[in-house]
Amino acid sequence: MNFCFTDDQQDLIDAAKDFFDGENTFDRMRSIAKGQKVESLWPQFVELGLLGVMAHEKDGGMGQPLVLMAAIAEAAGYSGLPDPFIEVAGITIPLSASPEKLISGSSQLAVLSELRKYIDHNLGDGTAVKSIDPLRKLVKVEGSCDESDKANYHGAVLSAAQLIGLSQRMVDISVDYAKDRHQFSKPIGSFQAIKHHLANVYTQIEFTRPIIQLAAIKGGINVHNAKVSAIDTAMMAAETAIQVHGGMGYTYEVDLHLFMKRVWALCGEWGDRNYHMKKIEKYVLQGDAKLGPGNTFN
Amino acid sequence: MNIEFTSNQREFREEIRTWLSAHVPKKRLMSFDTAEGFEQHRNWERVLAKDNWGNVNWPEEYGGRGLDLISWLIFEEEYYRSDAPLRVSQNGIFLLAPTIMEYGTEEQKTRFLPPMASGEEIWAQAWSEPSAGSDMAAIRTKAVKDGDHYIITGQKTWSSRAVFADWCFALVRTEDGSSRHKGLSKILIPLNSNGLTRRPIAQLDGDPGFAELFFDEVRVPVKNLLGPEHGGWGVAMSTAGFERGLLLRSPARFQSAAARLVKLYKSREKYLSSGVGEKVIQAWLDTERFCAATYQLVSRVEKGASISSESSANKLFWSEMDRQLHRTAMTIMGAQAELEEGLDSIDNGRWLDGYMFSLAGPIYAGTNEIQRNILAERVLGLPR
Repeated sequence: MNFCFTDDQQDLIDAAKDFFDGENTFDRMRSIAKGQKVESLWPQFVELGLLGVMAHEKDGGMGQPLVLMAAIAEAAGYSGLPDPFIEVAGITIPLSASPEKLISGSSQLAVLSELRKYIDHNLGDGTAVKSIDPLRKLVKVEGSCDESDKANYHGAVLSAAQLIGLSQRMVDISVDYAKDRHQFSKPIGSFQAIKHHLANVYTQIEFTRPIIQLAAIKGGINVHNAKVSAIDTAMMAAETAIQVHGGMGYTYEVDLHLFMKRVWALCGEWGDRNYHMKKIEKYVLQGDAKLGPGNTFN
Repeated sequence: MNIEFTSNQREFREEIRTWLSAHVPKKRLMSFDTAEGFEQHRNWERVLAKDNWGNVNWPEEYGGRGLDLISWLIFEEEYYRSDAPLRVSQNGIFLLAPTIMEYGTEEQKTRFLPPMASGEEIWAQAWSEPSAGSDMAAIRTKAVKDGDHYIITGQKTWSSRAVFADWCFALVRTEDGSSRHKGLSKILIPLNSNGLTRRPIAQLDGDPGFAELFFDEVRVPVKNLLGPEHGGWGVAMSTAGFERGLLLRSPARFQSAAARLVKLYKSREKYLSSGVGEKVIQAWLDTERFCAATYQLVSRVEKGASISSESSANKLFWSEMDRQLHRTAMTIMGAQAELEEGLDSIDNGRWLDGYMFSLAGPIYAGTNEIQRNILAERVLGLPR
């Protein structure tokens, strides 16, 4: 029992995080939001080998488990990365029998599932739909695949992980704003009313990340636990962040909305709260599963 | 990452499970906040200690088994699963013992740890004062050195178990003229000392769960100083880290309550409105989150990390989870929620006891408002 990443794994996660934060800047996101053409990050995903994080080593990948991909997804969420990288690297590639073209970047593809109605327009054909998230260009698709159970599992875990990254980012930009913004001759962040809001969100984040990691490793009911917890945490983080930002948070000029809208989008992707809550309801209230101490890791 | 238990850990689980099923009293003990219940619980500590089950993660020479914290979590899981009695020695074994192991002299370790493990000496915490609650650095109780003794004068309050306990660990001002966090020391004091008066305070349930302590020139040997003289704040914060962070409230306690809550829900489902089920699920889900987070924290500690300000998040989470869980139980019981025992009572008022106790959680070990300040200032970096 050692519920921690190895140092090597942590290095890989940190490198991915530095890459996302360095490349997917506010300027880049604002440009995309305005409909301007920006440089694709895909060649760099290929060059850094990031697309192959979960692919078998025999296919030229790193053979890393879903839990590591979840940490990378958290970092992607933190940066607000709009490119469908997590989707391809964390779902399409590990589910593909011959992922070479995907790893080399010569094709991009989404796995179809009944839990996902809308996909990135680069990943398949369908009718365009309009998301409130100005960085998501989506098309509507229908259908599912033979492996949709596994896709749903990866999808739920990775969307939950992105939600936690987004939550942390919204806390961080709120902290920055609260240190900077003065009222009554003091930074508003010195007031307990602000501090306590943000401490509550921080606490929820800290108690959601481990259940996502457990879900990534063990699957089962933990997947539903993880997604519901991530949804509730992220919605709370978003509402707290806009409250801390005051009127500025309600504008399109402050970048908070980019992260908030991604939260709204990811809450419904790969199983919404109702879907996952019904699974938990069945398990806890209707089933005869063993509950109580000693069952979580056994 | 590896979340499998080793075969040794699995065998350990079987061993403690077998032992508990043979030894846990069939009848629930009386509350340890009554004179009779306290002695019943002390006897239970003796039973645990006789077979070395009281403190599995302590070194063997002090009455433990020298096991790691993962094994301690396994022990806790089996302990709460078996519905064994609450630990009357909890302030000593979970809060003071880690501090003695970190700061104590060899002599202090040998003197204090074995009788703490065996239940012969039960400990109470004596930190808060009438004017030093959330503002703990406002402590005024004084210890003046007189040769090889301290002479202690002042007043402590909210001292849990102190009515019937044998010793207390106190935080007092040893440096004359010092203020705030400086000049404090941690001193170990027998509760039967001359000049020490205990005034029991009845808690919500009517039992004297804590006491006010009056020190009128109480003489204590200097060798009872724990850690550096005038450096007691740092020593106390290490205790607070354990209190808020890890040892005092392991996940098993709450997971066991959540499993009972699900049973309670199922037994009364037909009377309940549609939202209650989701509250039950949330309570269960939060205990699962707490469990996953604790295994992660323990894994980090085993790897050499130390627990600091993030223990405040732990305390916030478990205390609010516990209150919500028990409030849900109160909702489910409806008109029977007020019944303590006897006719029509559910589980002899156990949920009511649990609910009352859960109301204390957000207050003791540093109020949740203080924890939020700590998180905001020391973890998030917001200005004071």
